[in-house]
Amino acid sequence: MSIRNILSPFTAWKYLFRDPVTIPDPLNDRPGSPRYRGFHKNDMKKCIGCGTCEAICQNGAIDMVAVEGIDASKEDSGLRPNIDYGRCCWCALCVDVCMTGSLTMSNEYKWVESNPDAFRFTPGVDKKHWDNAALGYHRPDGYQLTGRVREQMPELEPAKRIESFDEIVQGYDVEQAKLEADRCVACGLCIATCPAHMAVPDYIAAVRDGDYERGLKILYDTNPFSQICGRVCTHRCETVCAARHEGDPIAIRWLKRHITEQVPRDRYRAIIGDPAPPTGKSVAIIGAGPAGMTAAYDLARKGHAVTVYEALPHAGGMTRYGIPEYRLPYETIQHEMDLILSMGVTIHYDTRIGSDITMQQLEQDFDAVILAIGLQMGRSTRIPGSEHAGVKKAVDLLRRITEGEHIDAPKSMVVIGGGNVAMDIARSMARLQKQQHGSIDVTLTALEDLNHFLADPDEIKESLEEGVNILDSRGPQQCQVDAEGNLTGLKTWKVLSIFDQQGRFAPSFDETDEQIHPAEMVVEAIGQMSDVNLLGEELTERLEWNRGRIQIDTNGRTSESWLWAAGDCVTGPDVVSAVAAGHQVAKSIDAVINPVEALTHA
Amino acid sequence: MPEGKGYKKLKAQTSLADILSVATEFERTARDFYSDLAGKVSKNIRYLVEELAEEEQRHFDLFSELSRRKDIEDQVSQLVDTPASNGKFSDCIHLPELGDKPDDQEVLQFALGREHAAMEQYHSLAESTPAGPIQDLFRFLADEETQHKNELEKLYYEIVHSGGV
Amino acid sequence: MAYTPDRSQYPQKKADGSLDIDLTSGKYLKLWQGPQHPGITGNMSIELTVCGDEVAEGRTHVGYLHRGFEKLMERRTFIQNFPIVCRICVPEPDFNEYCYAAAVEELAGIEVPERADWIRALILEMGRINSYLMYLGGQAGALGQAVIGQWSTYVRDLMLDRFEELTGARIYHMFIMPGGVRDNLPTGFRTRMEHTLGEIENALRDIHNVMFRNAVFEKRTRGIGVIEKEWLDSYGVTGPCIRAAGVPRDVRKDQPYLVYDQLDFDPVIGKDSDIYTRADVRRRDLLLSVDLIRQILSRMPQDDGPTMATTPNVLHWKIEPGETYVRGECSRGEYGYYLVTDGSGYPRRVNVRGPSYTHAMALFERMVVNCNIADVAALLVSLHTYPPEIER
Repeated sequence: MSIRNILSPFTAWKYLFRDPVTIPDPLNDRPGSPRYRGFHKNDMKKCIGCGTCEAICQNGAIDMVAVEGIDASKEDSGLRPNIDYGRCCWCALCVDVCMTGSLTMSNEYKWVESNPDAFRFTPGVDKKHWDNAALGYHRPDGYQLTGRVREQMPELEPAKRIESFDEIVQGYDVEQAKLEADRCVACGLCIATCPAHMAVPDYIAAVRDGDYERGLKILYDTNPFSQICGRVCTHRCETVCAARHEGDPIAIRWLKRHITEQVPRDRYRAIIGDPAPPTGKSVAIIGAGPAGMTAAYDLARKGHAVTVYEALPHAGGMTRYGIPEYRLPYETIQHEMDLILSMGVTIHYDTRIGSDITMQQLEQDFDAVILAIGLQMGRSTRIPGSEHAGVKKAVDLLRRITEGEHIDAPKSMVVIGGGNVAMDIARSMARLQKQQHGSIDVTLTALEDLNHFLADPDEIKESLEEGVNILDSRGPQQCQVDAEGNLTGLKTWKVLSIFDQQGRFAPSFDETDEQIHPAEMVVEAIGQMSDVNLLGEELTERLEWNRGRIQIDTNGRTSESWLWAAGDCVTGPDVVSAVAAGHQVAKSIDAVINPVEALTHA
Repeated sequence: MPEGKGYKKLKAQTSLADILSVATEFERTARDFYSDLAGKVSKNIRYLVEELAEEEQRHFDLFSELSRRKDIEDQVSQLVDTPASNGKFSDCIHLPELGDKPDDQEVLQFALGREHAAMEQYHSLAESTPAGPIQDLFRFLADEETQHKNELEKLYYEIVHSGGV
Repeated sequence: MAYTPDRSQYPQKKADGSLDIDLTSGKYLKLWQGPQHPGITGNMSIELTVCGDEVAEGRTHVGYLHRGFEKLMERRTFIQNFPIVCRICVPEPDFNEYCYAAAVEELAGIEVPERADWIRALILEMGRINSYLMYLGGQAGALGQAVIGQWSTYVRDLMLDRFEELTGARIYHMFIMPGGVRDNLPTGFRTRMEHTLGEIENALRDIHNVMFRNAVFEKRTRGIGVIEKEWLDSYGVTGPCIRAAGVPRDVRKDQPYLVYDQLDFDPVIGKDSDIYTRADVRRRDLLLSVDLIRQILSRMPQDDGPTMATTPNVLHWKIEPGETYVRGECSRGEYGYYLVTDGSGYPRRVNVRGPSYTHAMALFERMVVNCNIADVAALLVSLHTYPPEIER
């Protein structure tokens, strides 16, 4: 023990002459650091109430609650995260996982309150003084807890696909599907948006688990057109997907398709199961399209005797006669239809109601009748020259192609219209031109500018890739006919604007910008309508109508107690909406014709 | 069309009340035409024709009420302050003959053509009239027809140009 | 009765080998130190059987702090466990974050960006400094020297400021996630860190003068609380406790993880294995950490780059069956995570190996025998134990 070690401790006395290091007023003088994980903020403009924050919170500190003044919509559950600061540990996983980036943290950390309940609050709704704090934790750039980028779908190259009507989309392999399914956060906004309310997160989970039979069962619980919708659905689910806010939406449609491809076809029937025992009730359905066949499936599964009347030689409706084979192979439709028919559905092909059998006959012979006739007739612009034999309607041409009829492809042609049907016929005819002439000359004109086409962006992109010459903002004026009476082309004017400032249709033209598009054939693809002549004059008068369409109640029932209507003919064109309508009328009919059973199964 | 029979008849009028009564007469004729047509068309498109008749009736009522007022001049000058925009529509360039059983597209094209003609007629009357109450009145009438035409065009687009998905 | 370091005297044993402590004899007294006691580290207690002022037997009692982390983790997803693990050790939470993340990454086959490794090492060294600063205050406090704790708390607070600006939190940083670290260094961080390191060096100089060059402290700590050579391996002694016994055992050197193979250092060792030597080894290890932080900041890649690897969607992250043990050298010794996965979205088993478990339970019970009551607190502190990692 040295003398030094006796004296050395006294050096502590020097601290007497030092300034204190404490912060005198830390409540005011000590803000949290710029990335401090302080109290939560939530941007109400961005939050969609997807609940992913609630799902990831390991403390159970977040509850999604309804908030007055915020209504649920297609893209927003209407719920907002309510955070319990008695449970929160400020780990910020909620901020990291937030699908829209709405949830952030301020650098504020002081909150004095005598009422403990006040520490449960809804950020962004319950106003707090840190709501506008500039500093605080935000998820750093470039880091993500959920996948952002969609798996690329393998497709035929344009040069290859234009050679034939082979299906373009090749489908995911198992590896790709798992990666894509992995990105889903199961918020369920898609379920609310899907007209058929398919259990999307559940079947995506089945893909992740590789349990395709479970996936198929889930699909066919809500959609007997799953193979078809897996290819051509308008996939509105993907427009509300939480993943689209900071990345690509989940490829929900392709995952559905993937499930249907992974299950061997001979397993379908066993997985879906047998229908209920016969009830002795009978239902007639006019039209074997998505609405009619969905209703047939549901009613047959409930044990009712279902008879379908189809004017054409095959079932499928517009999915078969409207959609080209390169988007939806006929054999896929056939398998789907066979599956529905296997539930005990009787079908009469080539049978036209109105001429072969009257509506009155059906009214007498069946307990209920469903009208599901779709929109089979093409609209015409009725511009001068449009009555020429060389001017065709897209739906008629598509039907003839499906029926296998030989069509002499013109060397050059013009399509009028900017919707999916216009793309379908342009691309189908381009394939025929390629086959018959070795070259493509298809011009597509539409009133709308390219950004306002009704067609899916994919359709437009693929049409361009396949060599379709798309001219947007062109208003058709006249089909040109030469002295010999041959169709020579289409005259159009430039459309300056199509909508007025209120967004209403009010086209204005530049007549000086006139073009003649040479063509041997002009195809009109501007719209479709229902052929309601089959109803007959007397029934037409008896029925209530709503702006040109048969009036139905919320269950799809018309003003005639025995007649229901569903599908495109009442709700406009969309496969999955027609499927949803088919379910609805089937449920309604079941409740009416078999009330006791319906009650016990409600 | 602007130089048609109605044009001469209107051109000859010099008082606001007289012009209005001629215009009112036109609306009455149109209303009767549509009311008559409503009975002929199929029930599923009857709403179209009925709505057209209602709209003509509304004009009829509006013009009649206006002509009865003492302060027509003030009213008219106020009404022309906000003219509706005008355009031309392609599909209705040639006016179809309405047969006994017209379909919805024909009815719409007919009505569009009629509103368009009336609009042009009032426009050219306004242009050939010196500034003042009478010109204002023509502009007001032209505006009314333009608005109706715009509504019809929207309807036409929804019904005919549904795009076809 | 004078203190004799002859440990063979106690505890007396019967012929059958059991302890011969007859409490009714009046020779012995039961004495509880803790759970509320200034001379106890955290929430634990020691049941002492004393004979006069000498300890005949000591039993460590834990359970005051049991939160069942290992069980909780079996019911939480891999990402949800990330905010939990830091709570297993309050004063030095980062080793839990690192070991857990590294175990998950190994089993899930995730490659962490190099920058993240550097930042992880930085954070671990910062945490080590804080842990030692807290220890120094506690070691001095156990012998009545309150002022050391005041000084070390001040510089520890500066380091907490650095933690706050880097990680967004002062105590539970929740910054090392499976996949990397949350973010890069903030701007100006190096300058502020250099200032903090300077302050720490100043404080350590003062602490050296007042605590270590102190006749009283020496008298109370030299030759006391010696860990015998033969106990080292049989009791699983690691960290400064074994290095103070002259064994250069340091996971950072023996099995380099993160970027330690790119840093220049030698394990700090002592030779006397008593309380004083252990305190001195920790003081010098603290200065080594200051040096390592300087090395890390000057050698790590300067530009901003990715700090997180792409992970699967964390909401349904499943890991193939596997098991691993990941270890690192924390301020108390070897810290380790044993993780078993079974292909599900949850860990099948997580076992946390905190050095306090062996030091404070088994080793301490052996060492406390024959110890003077007044030295028990200093002895316990000198093993540098944190009860939460005993109980998990």
